[in-house]
Amino acid sequence: MPTTVEIPTLQELNVDEIKVSSAVLKAAAHHYGSQCDKPNKEFMLCRWEEKDPRKCLEEGRKVNECALNFFRQIKGNCAESFTEYWTCLDYTNLAELRHCRKQQQAFDSCVLDKLGWERPELGDLSKVTKVSTSRPAPENPYHSRPRPEPNPAIEGKLEPSKYGSRLFFWNW
Amino acid sequence: MAGSKVKQDMPPPGGYAAFDYKRNLPKRGLSGYSMFGVGIGIMAFGYWRLFRWNRERRRLQIEEMEARIAMMPLLQAEQDRRTLRMLRENLEEEAILMKDVPGWKVGEKVFHTDRWVPPLSDELFNLRPREEILSKRFGLMWYV
Amino acid sequence: MISTSMTHIINPVAFIVPILLAVAFLTLLERKVLGYMQLRKGPNVVGPYGLLQPFADGMKLFTKEPVRPSTSSPILFLLSPTLALTIALTLWAPIPLPYPVADLNLTILFILALSSLAVYSTLGSGWASNSKYALIGALRAVAQTISYEVSLGLILLNAIILTGGFTLQAFNITQESIWLILPAWPLAAMWYISTLAETNRAPFDLTEGESELVSGFNVEYAGGPFALFFLAEYTNILLMNTLSTILFLGASHTPTFPELSAITLMTKAALLSILFLWIRASYPRFRYDQLMHLTWKNFLPITLAMVIWNLALPTAFAGLPPQL
Repeated sequence: MPTTVEIPTLQELNVDEIKVSSAVLKAAAHHYGSQCDKPNKEFMLCRWEEKDPRKCLEEGRKVNECALNFFRQIKGNCAESFTEYWTCLDYTNLAELRHCRKQQQAFDSCVLDKLGWERPELGDLSKVTKVSTSRPAPENPYHSRPRPEPNPAIEGKLEPSKYGSRLFFWNW
Repeated sequence: MAGSKVKQDMPPPGGYAAFDYKRNLPKRGLSGYSMFGVGIGIMAFGYWRLFRWNRERRRLQIEEMEARIAMMPLLQAEQDRRTLRMLRENLEEEAILMKDVPGWKVGEKVFHTDRWVPPLSDELFNLRPREEILSKRFGLMWYV
Repeated sequence: MISTSMTHIINPVAFIVPILLAVAFLTLLERKVLGYMQLRKGPNVVGPYGLLQPFADGMKLFTKEPVRPSTSSPILFLLSPTLALTIALTLWAPIPLPYPVADLNLTILFILALSSLAVYSTLGSGWASNSKYALIGALRAVAQTISYEVSLGLILLNAIILTGGFTLQAFNITQESIWLILPAWPLAAMWYISTLAETNRAPFDLTEGESELVSGFNVEYAGGPFALFFLAEYTNILLMNTLSTILFLGASHTPTFPELSAITLMTKAALLSILFLWIRASYPRFRYDQLMHLTWKNFLPITLAMVIWNLALPTAFAGLPPQL
């Protein structure tokens, strides 16, 4: 067992981060969920199986790449209606989606026209899904100690105790 | 006394006429039963509208939750990288700080395990200004 | 420096002054309404329509000598009215007008807890006065307030079940479709009567009981401390009516037009307050045993039954609110 913690270097961690605010993320969330489904699920599966962020950096990089690409496409094609949508969300108290249906519709139709993206149905994003992956399942993600040997089978004849159970003393 | 001139004030012969002392309220408005019925009706209507809206609100909540579910991988990946980056920076800082101490092992494990142990925020922010951990802990808090 | 003075002076003042102003005009309104209901005019000398009367009253009270009875417990005697007003003002912090000063997750529990704490100021003042009348008045007031808090709490529980949240904003969202007074009007009626009793208003003003207790727990108070009690009482009245409005009288907050929300909310609250005054002008005082009977033998069983009913009905019709 190595005695120091392994931490990847800063070069390995360097990724083009997405620097947008919460309202933007929320406005884009549903389309993002359906467009970047593959890398997202891959990353979450990795994270779930490995229990270790250091081992899922590559998957995380792909998630970010996809997200960056996604936001670039929005910016290139539907910047105006998208900005209107997230500004609306930003101005409502709890950023509830129901207050901005009109702007949402405009954004959705723009995205459908230019990029062919459709808003996922209610319940699609929270479905339980299977993910096919080429990453091998980890052997022992918790690094558990090996299980102790099972007790050896008892040789010889076993007989009931002669005077009954010792745990039971009410036996007259 | 018999020939007294004083005439005592007496009721007329045969007594006074009966007079009506019964409470006489005009009967107006709905009867009690129908008022009760109207009340129940209002309650039923109210419950119907309320339940319809509550069902709709549950749907809206699913939508809101799905937005978070969709964003989760992105945020999680970002968070992981941020944590690791801070750990790495701390490690380099530690190497500089402890270079004069003989026998110091930089980045020694605190726990006797190979598992990934999520670092405490104190551990992450230990070498940084105090404002950073305060803003990390309380900066984005909306309510108590 | 500027931010310190902002947080410690300007913000609290901006929060307290409007409340105290509202309270001042509520006292004037009360005297006017009572006056016209008794075919007289009410205060009309100080200022136009008597509008400056409350300020004149306040000046008088605060320049008067605050009597401190020689046999009283001096610290508690002065601490109780301070506590009363402090609690009454603190209770306003989580009220959404349209956004609360203190955004709490469990707003309703906070309000319940603080309003129970107000009992101690009554008890403390009655005991510290070292007078029979004050003590008996305080005991009666405390017994009444505690008893009615039970039914208030249970009615709140009902409303929470229908709403699915403890924040007052959740009540706003629930009532966007329909005001809770419609499905729950029996509860609303009981709530309103309980708030009357909780704030020691007529017809439940047994603590004051002029004929029996010569004004109850605050007989020994004069001048400034009395003014504090007076302000606390009317602050509580306004607060309770605002709370009733939020709970039962609909969504006042529309996110697209938040400027209007405080106005609609406070208009409804003002109407409820006028109803308070109307009730005071119309009904004779309850007897003490009737008062206790009303809450323990009528309101308590009914509200307990309503809790079960309001749990069973939404469950049966799949109308439970969303829960996180």
